[in-house]
Amino acid sequence: MSNTLHVKIKVNDSSVALDVPLSETLLTTLRDRLQLTGAKRGCNQGVCGACTVTIDGVPVRACLSLTACCEGQSVLTIEGAGADRVIAALQDAFIEEGALQCGFCTPGQLIAARALLERNAEPSVEEVQQSMSGNLCRCTGYRKIIDAVRKAAQRLQS
Amino acid sequence: MNTGLFHPASVDEALELLARMPDAKIISGGASLVAMINARLADPAALVSLARIGELKGVSEEPGGGLRVGAMMRHRDAAAEKRFAGTLMVIQKAASVIASETVRNMGTIGGAVSHADPGLDYPPALVAAEASIEIAAPGVRRRVPAEAFFVDWYATALGPGEMVSAVHLPAARPGVGLYHKFARVSGDYATVSVALTMVRDAKAIATRVAIGGCGPRPLLVEEANRLLSGNPSAEDLRRAGELLQAAADPIDDVRGSAEYRLMLIPRMLARAFEEARASVGAMK
Amino acid sequence: MRIEGSFDVAAPRDAVYRHITDPGLMAQCVPGCETIEQLSPTSYRACVTINVGGIKARFNLVVEVTREEPPNLVLSQTRGEEDSRASVLSADNELTLVEVDPHTTRVRYVSEVSVTGRLGKFALGVMKKKVEAMGRQFADRLRELIQVQTARQAEAPAAAAAVPTGSASTGILP
Repeated sequence: MSNTLHVKIKVNDSSVALDVPLSETLLTTLRDRLQLTGAKRGCNQGVCGACTVTIDGVPVRACLSLTACCEGQSVLTIEGAGADRVIAALQDAFIEEGALQCGFCTPGQLIAARALLERNAEPSVEEVQQSMSGNLCRCTGYRKIIDAVRKAAQRLQS
Repeated sequence: MNTGLFHPASVDEALELLARMPDAKIISGGASLVAMINARLADPAALVSLARIGELKGVSEEPGGGLRVGAMMRHRDAAAEKRFAGTLMVIQKAASVIASETVRNMGTIGGAVSHADPGLDYPPALVAAEASIEIAAPGVRRRVPAEAFFVDWYATALGPGEMVSAVHLPAARPGVGLYHKFARVSGDYATVSVALTMVRDAKAIATRVAIGGCGPRPLLVEEANRLLSGNPSAEDLRRAGELLQAAADPIDDVRGSAEYRLMLIPRMLARAFEEARASVGAMK
Repeated sequence: MRIEGSFDVAAPRDAVYRHITDPGLMAQCVPGCETIEQLSPTSYRACVTINVGGIKARFNLVVEVTREEPPNLVLSQTRGEEDSRASVLSADNELTLVEVDPHTTRVRYVSEVSVTGRLGKFALGVMKKKVEAMGRQFADRLRELIQVQTARQAEAPAAAAAVPTGSASTGILP
């Protein structure tokens, strides 16, 4: 049985009013209602990290967030992160280092990497591995992602 | 109305809602519940959110030195909690290896223990730490020792309409608490885990071990703890491993066969024990 | 997954055999069985609820006896699913009887069970434990039922003498 709830949230700095069923996830809302397809449905269980977005600045799994529970909160997806200095540095570094191939995991990687760099401006290889262990990649073998994150960190410092 | 999303401001209000809507589910961090909904294993018509209940947040010190951990404490905060020191480090260490950073931003201790998946990290850590679970029912709170709280596969001592309001930890004792987890990959559920606390008292040690991932409940065998305390020999350690194996009832699944899990128990026990003993030995 | 076990029944092998080819009686022994409907002398429909923690799964199953070799073998098949095919279950079951002595029979059961869908995907390891436990409960109930029946028959030998052997029995023996 579905119950529609009226929810007002901010998505990428725009206010949005929606009528959603109780069990609709934020991932479904972003992709199907708002056409923000940067966040991906990889496992729908919170394991792969391809759906990672931020809510009120905190990285979370959109597939494990119920839209109805996001009333009054501010969601940021990769589409809304273009002007962010950290994301821009990461994007350049990812391209230079070849840290993406199919690109499916990339939005989630960027959101997770930004959270790391905001907390730790000079992460070691181990720290990047630890922090980003929740973002799976089937293409790159991770090495280039780690290099890209550390390269972006270095650039942001100088 | 028995459908929709509710935001009670207190535990009592939450319990009233559960009493009125027996099919409603509590939503804490959502990490377990929403995964279940996505997997078609749950389909609640009504949800009672704990997000606005102040009592459930934070850690408070209790007279006697113990800690009361609110049910909504996120794994991220538990992993950084400095008051989980000494033997209570087993809690901090277990929290820090749950899933991934992003999931630790969402999941809560109350949600995890209520879900009682056999591969979770908190249950064996709470048993090793001698924690007790505070259960709220209308008009009454009761505490259940962690080892009695986990009853069966995905089943706890929670009765209908009850909820976990807090976890109580005894005062930290000088010594170590460690949590070793064997999983296929970082962040996975444990195939087998060992939660161990060791107190050093003059020349002897007091050890308490709980094994995770090897049965419906964490394995706790008092005779094994006794063998691992005092001045244990290699034979005592071997025998303790045997006793824990005998108490195990592991599943066969993609994370490991039952046979493999049984094999891991004494090996992981030995590693954890030796690491703890070395740490405690190096203390002043 | 393979579920197997054995149990001893205080009843002669022929009597046990008659019972295990009685669909109505067998269905009564299945834990969580809510309704039974006999479809034919060798098959029945059963609605069985399996509980795993907070998850209740209601299965609509059809059990059919596929081969009988009196007095020691019965093969049957179980097929069914949850509503809207949320999970699908199928099992191939083998029951063998061995005479321990004239008044005691050892019943051995082996089932190859497959569960796909929501329960197969996310909880298969725990499902196996649950199904094993159901196997043990089934065995306990069957043994009890047969022993009660056998004791009653011993008290009323004239009535028991008229019972036919093999799969023709359609109801519970008096």
